[in-house]
Amino acid sequence: MTQKIIFSPSPHIHTGRTTGGIMRHVLIALAPAVACALWFFGLPALWVLVTSVASCVATEWLITRYMLRRPVSLSDCSAILTGVLLALTLPSGLPLWMAAAGGIVAIGIAKMAFGGLGCNIFNPALVGRVFLLISFPVAMTTWPLPASPFTDTDGATGATVLSQLKMGLADSGALDMLGMFTGDMGGSMGEVSAAALLLGFIYLLALRIIKWHIPVSIVAGLVLVDLIAGFPPLTDILSGGLLIGAIFMATDYVTSPMSRRGMLLYGLMIGINTAVIRRWGSYPEGISFAILIMNGATPLINRYMHNARFSPRRKEAAA
Amino acid sequence: MSHTFKTGGIHPHGFKTASPEIQFQSLPMTATVLLSQHLGAPAAPIVGKGDKVTRGMLIAESASYVSASVHAPISGIVNSIEDVVLPNGKNGRAIIIKADETEHESDICARVEYWTKTVPEASSRDLSESLSSKEIQSRILSAGIVGLGGATFPSHVKIGLKPTQKADTLIINGCECEPYLMCDDALMCTWAPQTVEGVELIMKAASIEKAVIAIEDNKPRAIKAMRSALDSAHNISVMPVKTKYPQGGEKQLIEAVTGRRVGSGGLPISVGVIVHNVATAFAVWQAVATGQPLIERIVTITGDIPAGQRCNYMAAIGTPLADFPYTLPEEARVIVGGPMMGRTAVRLDTPVTKGTSGLTILSGKGHRPIQPCIRCGACSDACPMGLDPYLLATYGRLRMFEEAAAADVADCIECGSCSWSCPSSRPILDFIRVAKQRSRK
Repeated sequence: MTQKIIFSPSPHIHTGRTTGGIMRHVLIALAPAVACALWFFGLPALWVLVTSVASCVATEWLITRYMLRRPVSLSDCSAILTGVLLALTLPSGLPLWMAAAGGIVAIGIAKMAFGGLGCNIFNPALVGRVFLLISFPVAMTTWPLPASPFTDTDGATGATVLSQLKMGLADSGALDMLGMFTGDMGGSMGEVSAAALLLGFIYLLALRIIKWHIPVSIVAGLVLVDLIAGFPPLTDILSGGLLIGAIFMATDYVTSPMSRRGMLLYGLMIGINTAVIRRWGSYPEGISFAILIMNGATPLINRYMHNARFSPRRKEAAA
Repeated sequence: MSHTFKTGGIHPHGFKTASPEIQFQSLPMTATVLLSQHLGAPAAPIVGKGDKVTRGMLIAESASYVSASVHAPISGIVNSIEDVVLPNGKNGRAIIIKADETEHESDICARVEYWTKTVPEASSRDLSESLSSKEIQSRILSAGIVGLGGATFPSHVKIGLKPTQKADTLIINGCECEPYLMCDDALMCTWAPQTVEGVELIMKAASIEKAVIAIEDNKPRAIKAMRSALDSAHNISVMPVKTKYPQGGEKQLIEAVTGRRVGSGGLPISVGVIVHNVATAFAVWQAVATGQPLIERIVTITGDIPAGQRCNYMAAIGTPLADFPYTLPEEARVIVGGPMMGRTAVRLDTPVTKGTSGLTILSGKGHRPIQPCIRCGACSDACPMGLDPYLLATYGRLRMFEEAAAADVADCIECGSCSWSCPSSRPILDFIRVAKQRSRK
């Protein structure tokens, strides 16, 4: 027999879905939000995006190549995804060196220092964002208002809906809900258009990349606190980074629980934390902190919450 | 809504492209008959070197309660009783029978006569009236019948219930949820009336009033054929079940059909059910109605081979795997069984056994680069036992066998859904197997 016969363990076939493929699907799901960012905030948004992605990819490449001396793993697209997510949480007018610094912290500290893909405890993009928020609070809260597309002007800046509400500058009854839904409000690059984010959510659900549990329970937790505190829930859902956080950040596989029950608890707690920070904390926005707090609780949730077993445990065997 | 199991499961592509017609693979001149083709003790040879044997003759006896007899698949002279290499590379003891031209010719005539006249014309309906439950059981025992779905558990053990055990439902497993394989499909399309009579015989032997034949809904021809073979005098029904892997897993199928769940470490009888494969039912019918013991079975030859070569063959036990007509691709994995649970053969001069449901020939190495676990949970979602494969695999990798046992690694049915679904191509099941074997007390 001249042919080569190969030995391998079962199963011998595979779904065909790959890590890189999943990351690319998430990037596709983010495309509407990226398009909205560019539409509303013009060229400055593009530069922030490019800088953030380049910084993340370069940091990952340098660390794997020269510090860890491992095969370079950029083909899984996770560094690109982190870069895009980070950019979408930044104001479009941010100085580019700050965006670059955010990328270095996101990949270098939050991801690679823990061991790279799959080993990080906290969502890298959010760590990058929170690092910038704490280090450069003024730059990170100077929100250019949406303008006509691709006019490279020093556009007007203004407060976000949440900070206006917090400072008592706006009346929640007089807000333009339709504008908030389509993206005509101040805020970070990617958070402004609920419509674009929901489009991405539908895409991810349809391809079964993520489950509904985390985003839906986050919204449920938020609404729960809103109802108790007497705050209009719809305003809370559409404003700030709630939707981008709930759909794209909190659902990060690595830093979220693996069982459906765990996901519900995790999401509910993020929603509650977000609302509590927004209502009673000193920051107008709370989703980033809420997700990072629950990222830290994820190993604990995984330890105690599992999917339902097929077989109920035999009592006599356990004894 | 079609019936199915609830926890986990996957939907691999079916690739059921083999011709459903059954071809007859020619009898080999030399047959290698393994003594251990079943779970349990190997059979004890009752013939010696130089003895003359005839097709269908008992050559090795069931050696204990959980064991099965072995019969000569061809007539000839016992050439030797020796250790041969099994498909998995291990050694196993076998009786090697060599035929001469005249014996070969007469076997061929007898075989043609059997399949073209005896099988189509015989019926067990009159016999099953007159035979007692014990008599049917003893025929099953003496015909060397084992579970033909792949587990090869001796059938008489399952059918001979203890007085304390009571079953109310017999499930006949015609799911064939493994991709590629079609041997059960071909059987049900070709010999449905005989198979249904076999089901009646098992019902009588085990004193069960009700039987359900479960068939995945991707086999409409088999469902139709089996339905039209049903006889109103018996409480047998055909239940189409959802095409979902591993629908044919014993515990999964019991849940799909009856809604009952077999507990951890429990047997089907604990919920009043016994499960047999459709091919086993046909073998029981052959033993009772025609007197032929288990010396032939249907083998699917399929996979990445020319379309015309994908066929179902009726082949004698002991036929070397290399005898079947197929052209191997350049780099081939020759899998004995289906692609989810089958094992690759390391050599092709090894024989067909009672458990050989098919050869799935896949091209290419099948190795994918292993990437870090991204904790996506796809394995946990896929696991039909509701386990956490990522965790069990980690325990296996880190040699934490006690923790693995505490996390119920023993419940794993090794269906491979976890490894199939892993986007990082991690060998999850391999590590779980390590944990499962090492944590066994």
